[in-house]
Amino acid sequence: MAITENDVLEEIRDQLESIKVPGAREATPDNTWAELDVDSLDLVELVKALEDKFGVTISDDDLKPIESVGAAIDLTMRLADSTEGSPA
Amino acid sequence: MTPRASSHPGEHVDIAITGRGVVSSIAEGPDAFFDALLDRRSGIVDGGAPCSEFDPTSAMTAKAARRSDRYTQLALCAAAQATAEAGLPDGVDVERLAVLVGTGVGGLKTLEDECRAFIDGGVRAVSPLFVPMMMPNAAAGMIAMDLGAHGPGFSVSSACATGSHAIGEAKRMIERGEADVVVAGGTEAAMTPLCMAAFERMGALSRKGVSRPFDANRDGFVMGEGAGVLVLERGDLARERGATIYGYVVGYGASNDAFHMTQPDETGRGATKAMTAALSDAGVEPSEVGYINAHGTSTPFNDKIETRAIHNVFNGGSPPVSSTKSAIGHLLGAAGAVEAVAVLCALARGILPPTLNFEEPDPECDLDYVPDGPREAPGLTLAMSNSFGFGGQNACLAFKKA
Repeated sequence: MAITENDVLEEIRDQLESIKVPGAREATPDNTWAELDVDSLDLVELVKALEDKFGVTISDDDLKPIESVGAAIDLTMRLADSTEGSPA
Repeated sequence: MTPRASSHPGEHVDIAITGRGVVSSIAEGPDAFFDALLDRRSGIVDGGAPCSEFDPTSAMTAKAARRSDRYTQLALCAAAQATAEAGLPDGVDVERLAVLVGTGVGGLKTLEDECRAFIDGGVRAVSPLFVPMMMPNAAAGMIAMDLGAHGPGFSVSSACATGSHAIGEAKRMIERGEADVVVAGGTEAAMTPLCMAAFERMGALSRKGVSRPFDANRDGFVMGEGAGVLVLERGDLARERGATIYGYVVGYGASNDAFHMTQPDETGRGATKAMTAALSDAGVEPSEVGYINAHGTSTPFNDKIETRAIHNVFNGGSPPVSSTKSAIGHLLGAAGAVEAVAVLCALARGILPPTLNFEEPDPECDLDYVPDGPREAPGLTLAMSNSFGFGGQNACLAFKKA
């Protein structure tokens, strides 16, 4: 079954909560990492959580332009789609 | 703010203590800690002295706490107490505010956890926080960030002498004119399964789980954890800004045994030299010292040889000696800094904390160890604190009443 934006948003909120980001449950796609005080070390943990949950591989190059929750959702969905579409 | 003129090397500066912080198994905060020592309270439970009540979020955000090893959490809390007491960073030049907080072993729990994660799960299982949590300068770095301290910052490490070396080197840093104010001390959270196993295998831990320094039946130390932090400040600047002064650090002496990695030199040569150097640095005679806070680990070797070294220095005229480790166990890299707080409180209040569990005298430990309870010492103006580390590295500090 295809993943939804909400699935990814909820996973991001879970991860932000586990790394003790204040207001994690209220994070929206519009929030930037800077607003959430999420730094590069936090992103390493976030990426691992998304990879484990959705079976995608997020490279450093993929991650470079990602500066918000919404951009991370879009990236994850795009990678998940291409993973599903490619031969095993 | 306007930069201040620095002191110049060679110019005499007195070093005031304007802030004190302690986290220990018996209390948090300098006054509560000293009260607990006077109450003969022991933090030792089942052969260890953990800080069971400690809550890192009292001094840091939940996110920062998650990103810190326990040794850093303990240091942050002690530093928060000390810097609040000193009113930092208000009124001081942050360009000349330094942080020198050491640890004997660093983020050991993090190291153990991540080794296990790596063995079980490979590279991807290793936390990106591993290095910044484990590294022994993390506590000093976090404290500097909290304060916005832009002066020198690093960690010193000399095993069980770390806390005293940090305070002594902080004194030197101010004397050399490199900083006006130094947040200095030691921190340790080494009560991990691996570390406990290692000290047990060395035969260093008390099998009975009792810390009884200088007693004939002592059989090793009891592991504790905690942190001690002081704010050292150029006396003239402290007075100028109206800071409360809790005492002065007037002497620092350091030495190597150059003998054995874990056993002290039988003759007490290294310990003797550290004490003599501290007295010389302070410009005082042994007869002026009214109290010694001993290293007093409760190991058969240390206590015998420390006693011998005190005899070497004081030549029959030793003042009363007591061991804080009888109450809170051995805090390794934090010990000297926590014990410095005990000494400062003893000087301020004119009362000596006791050595607990001293029941049967050892003929080779023949000093006055303040065994019966706290003792009034109204004329006390000068006191010393000894710390001797594995590696044969020794530090002694001398403090004066404010």
